[in-house]
Amino acid sequence: MKTLADLKKIREKAQEDLKLRGGNVRIKIVVGMGTSGIAMGAREVMKTFLEEIAARNLSDVLVTQTGEKGLSSMEPVVDLIEEGKPKVTYGNMNPDKVKKVVVEHIVNGRVVSDYVVATGD
Amino acid sequence: MQDISLHLLDIIENSVRAKARNIKVRVINNVQKNRLRIIVEDDGTGMDSHTLEKAQDPFYTSKLEREKKVGLGIPLFKQNAELVGGSFKMASEPGFGTVLTVDFTLDHIDRMPLGNLKDTLLGTIIGHAEVDFYVHLIYRDKSKEQCFYLDTKAIREELGDIPLTYPDVIEYIDQSLYEGIQNTNMEDV
Repeated sequence: MKTLADLKKIREKAQEDLKLRGGNVRIKIVVGMGTSGIAMGAREVMKTFLEEIAARNLSDVLVTQTGEKGLSSMEPVVDLIEEGKPKVTYGNMNPDKVKKVVVEHIVNGRVVSDYVVATGD
Repeated sequence: MQDISLHLLDIIENSVRAKARNIKVRVINNVQKNRLRIIVEDDGTGMDSHTLEKAQDPFYTSKLEREKKVGLGIPLFKQNAELVGGSFKMASEPGFGTVLTVDFTLDHIDRMPLGNLKDTLLGTIIGHAEVDFYVHLIYRDKSKEQCFYLDTKAIREELGDIPLTYPDVIEYIDQSLYEGIQNTNMEDV
């Protein structure tokens, strides 16, 4: 069984890790979780991001959920926000596309233009 | 929505949108009473009686920015519960929050499955760092009762300044939920 004591170990490890790289958030991922997004598979998109972050040990990435953004026909929709760069919005996402975006965009810094539905604010 | 856990996700998102800071989620699988009960309680902005009534109407939405003024989340959940002999109750008080109680007849042949409760809870917990979640899963049978409890406030206190999105923390919460769901027989409900 997982206990709160396990968290102490994680905390110690994480503090070392954050000390080394300064604790900055490099990329923020925002998954649209409105009613239509959920119906179109946004939960699986969110889940895949979380799995990839854990598997690749991406400790400088932040993932959040938000409500509808008026792009219902392109759900599930995901925003990637990096400091000093225009926001990139990916549409019609699914777990396979998420994996590609993680490798290409988040790890290697190349926007996956095939899945982009909007850029900027 | 294909299952109850997707509806639950939709409902929790409503609570977050209502600026809730604490959200209690209870799932009670009561075999003895032949009832699956979902309770979501938040301390968000709440609704007056007029808005509360409107929220159950498919041709209403609180989302002002939306072009089509239609909100199907709550009406569909209500319909899916009532169609299988269940019930849907919402109580709210402006300034205090909202409580939603949804019952399903456990053995009704047309009841939607509970679905992937773990992914619903994992995503919402990690995806809303500003909200504290109190998750209670309860299984009740004639002879036994099994409970699982997860409290993100306690987790956060233990973690200090380490965010919930830290990879090992994601795995920790995922694993905790997995064990909790197994122990309360919520996997194939």
